[in-house]
Amino acid sequence: MKTIREINQKIKNGNAVVLTAAEMTEYVRENGSKAAAEEIDVVTTGTFGAMCSSGAFLNFGHSDPPIKMNRTFLNNVEAYSGIAAVDAYIGATQLNKNPQIGMDYGGAHLIEDLIKGKEVELIVEAYGTDCYPRKEIETIVDMDKLNQATMVNPRNCYQNYAVATNSTDETLYTYMGTLLPNFGNLSYSSAGQLSPLLNDPYFETIGLGTRIFLCGGEGYVLGEGTQHSTEGERRNGVPVGSAGTLMLMGDMKKMSSDFVRGATMQKYGPTLYVGAGIPIPILNEGIAKRTGISDEDIICNVYDYGVPRRSRPVIKETNYKELKTGKIEINGMEIKTSPLSSYRKAEEVANELKNWINNGKFFLTEPVNRIPSKGYTVKPLEIKKPSILIKDIESKQVIIAHPTEEISDVARKLVQNNINHLPVVDDEGKLMGIVTSWDIANAIAKGKAKLKDVMTKKVIIAREDEPVDVIARRIDKYEISGLPIIDKDNKVKGMITAEDISRLIGETAKNNNEVSL
Amino acid sequence: MRAWLKFSPDIVNKAIISDAMKKYNINFNILKADITPKGGKMLIEIDGEQVEEFIEYIEKRGIYVDPVKKVLKKDEEKCVDCGACVSLCPVKAICIKEDWSVGIDNQLCIGCGFCTGSCPMKAITIME
Repeated sequence: MKTIREINQKIKNGNAVVLTAAEMTEYVRENGSKAAAEEIDVVTTGTFGAMCSSGAFLNFGHSDPPIKMNRTFLNNVEAYSGIAAVDAYIGATQLNKNPQIGMDYGGAHLIEDLIKGKEVELIVEAYGTDCYPRKEIETIVDMDKLNQATMVNPRNCYQNYAVATNSTDETLYTYMGTLLPNFGNLSYSSAGQLSPLLNDPYFETIGLGTRIFLCGGEGYVLGEGTQHSTEGERRNGVPVGSAGTLMLMGDMKKMSSDFVRGATMQKYGPTLYVGAGIPIPILNEGIAKRTGISDEDIICNVYDYGVPRRSRPVIKETNYKELKTGKIEINGMEIKTSPLSSYRKAEEVANELKNWINNGKFFLTEPVNRIPSKGYTVKPLEIKKPSILIKDIESKQVIIAHPTEEISDVARKLVQNNINHLPVVDDEGKLMGIVTSWDIANAIAKGKAKLKDVMTKKVIIAREDEPVDVIARRIDKYEISGLPIIDKDNKVKGMITAEDISRLIGETAKNNNEVSL
Repeated sequence: MRAWLKFSPDIVNKAIISDAMKKYNINFNILKADITPKGGKMLIEIDGEQVEEFIEYIEKRGIYVDPVKKVLKKDEEKCVDCGACVSLCPVKAICIKEDWSVGIDNQLCIGCGFCTGSCPMKAITIME
C-alpha cells in the first residue's frame, strides 16, 4: 500500500518508478501484480484519437467602444457567443460558413491554428446596447492576444468503443471513417491496453481534479463526461462497450500541435484529434493488476453501421490484439482493419508523461471527488411522435411493368397514371429494375423497343420497415426522385417519391401548428 | 517498370499499345486509366526483355511516357499514423509497421485515391 503523497515524494527525490501502460502489461505478465504493486509507482496511459466532443472557451477582451458579441466567426467558423459580452465557445465539429470549404476547415482546424500561433480572422455581429454600443468587428487575433483560451471537452477518453463495419452494398462515410461495402473493411478507435479508462476501469484513482497530460500541456479532469455510463457488460473487469467518459480541461496556450490536430472525416465533418494521457498511481495490488490489462483481454463488439438506427446489430465479438493484426475474419472472409486513433501517438503521449514525471516536472493529485462507477446509464432521446415508417404511409395501388413489355405500352402507362417511375417486376412480383419517363424518352430517341433494354437494374430501394427520415436522406444522397418500396421477399409493395415525402412533412408541420394554436 | 502514359486527342483511337505489346512481347498491366476523346492518361506497369524498344516505339507514335518512382506522397508533418487509410487500400500497399507508423509501398500502389480522400489529416496526395 502506497499513498499519492509518498509517490510524489519519490517523484521529487527522482526515484519514482514509472512505466507506460504497455510496459506495465509486460511487467505484470512476467512478475505478477504483487511484485508490480511493490516496485512500480506510476503507470502512464495515453490515447490520441478523434474526439468530436471537444472545444474551447475564448475570451477576446473588450474593444473601444465595446461590443456584446452576438454572432462570432473565426476564420468563418462560428463560435457560440450566447454567454458574456466577449466570451465564446468554439466547438470542434462546427462547419465553415463558406459552403465551398464546409467540412474541410471547421472548429477543430481553427483550434489547431490557434495553438500553432497562427493569426485568425475575427468577425463579430452585435445588436448594440447602451453599455455595448458597437455593432460589428472585423479584425485579426492570435493566441497571444486572447485573454484566455481554455479547452473544455465535454466527452473525451471513451473507456472502450464500438468497432464499425458495413454490410450494405454502398460505401458509407461515417464518424468511424470510410466503410467499404460488403464488409470491405472495418475500423476501430481505442488505444486498447494504453487507453486511460481501461487501466482504471472502476475509477479508483482518476477523479475530479486529477492532473493529466492534455494536448502537450497540463490539464485536469473536471468529472465524468457526458454520456458517462457504468452499467454495461464487463469482461475481464473492463466494459465491452463505450461506457465511461471524462470531461477534460486545459490551457490551450500551453498546448502543442504535436498532440492535437484538426481533422475531417470524409463526408462526415470536422473532428479534433486529442492527445490525452492520465497517470495512474499504483496504490495497491488491485490497481497494479488492473493496469496490467492486455489487448487480448479487452473485448469489443463489431457493429453493422449499414443499419442507421440507434441500435445497430452486433456482427461479432473481437479483441484489440486481434484487431491490431490488421485483419479479422467475418463470415469466412478476411476483413482488413483500420485503427482511427493513432497507437504510435498514444505511445508518444504515455512516454512524454512518463518523462515529465521522471524529470520531476509533473506531480500526481489526489482526486477531489470520485467519478461514479455505478448507477449511470445513457437514456435515449424519445421522440414524442414516433418516427413514421414507410409501411405507415398510405400508398396507392402500385403500378408495375414487366420486362417484356413494349416501350409504347409503358409510355402509355406512365401518361395514363400521371406518374414518372415504374418498377419492373418478374412473374412473382419481385423487383427487377425501374424505368422513369426520362428512360422512356431516351429509349424512343435511340430506337430501343424492349423495356428490359432501357430499365435501370441497380435500383435504390426503400424497405417497408425503414423510417421515412432515412428514405428522405437516401433520396437526397443519390439525387433521385423516387424509389420502390419492397418487402422482405423483394416483392414490390409501392412507390415513394420525393413529393410524397414533402407532402408528409407539410402535413406534419400543419398538424403541429394546429396543436400549438 | 511503372509509368504514366499520356495520350493526345489525335491518337486516342489508334491501337498503338496493342501493336507494340505484340511486337515486343511485353507484359502490360493497366493500373489506372482515364481516357476520353479529349485525350487521356494511364498508369501502367510493364515488364519484358524489350521494354526499352517498346517505349521507343510508342513514344515515336505520340504517346508521352513518364516513368514514376512514387505514386503517393505522404506529408510526414501532417500524418499522425492513425491508420484510417490502411484498410481502404485494395492492394495492401499501406501497412502499419512494427513501430506503429504507417508505411506506403509505392511499388504496390495503383493510385486509386481511396486513401487520399479518406485521410482525416489530408496528408496523402497522388503524384501526377
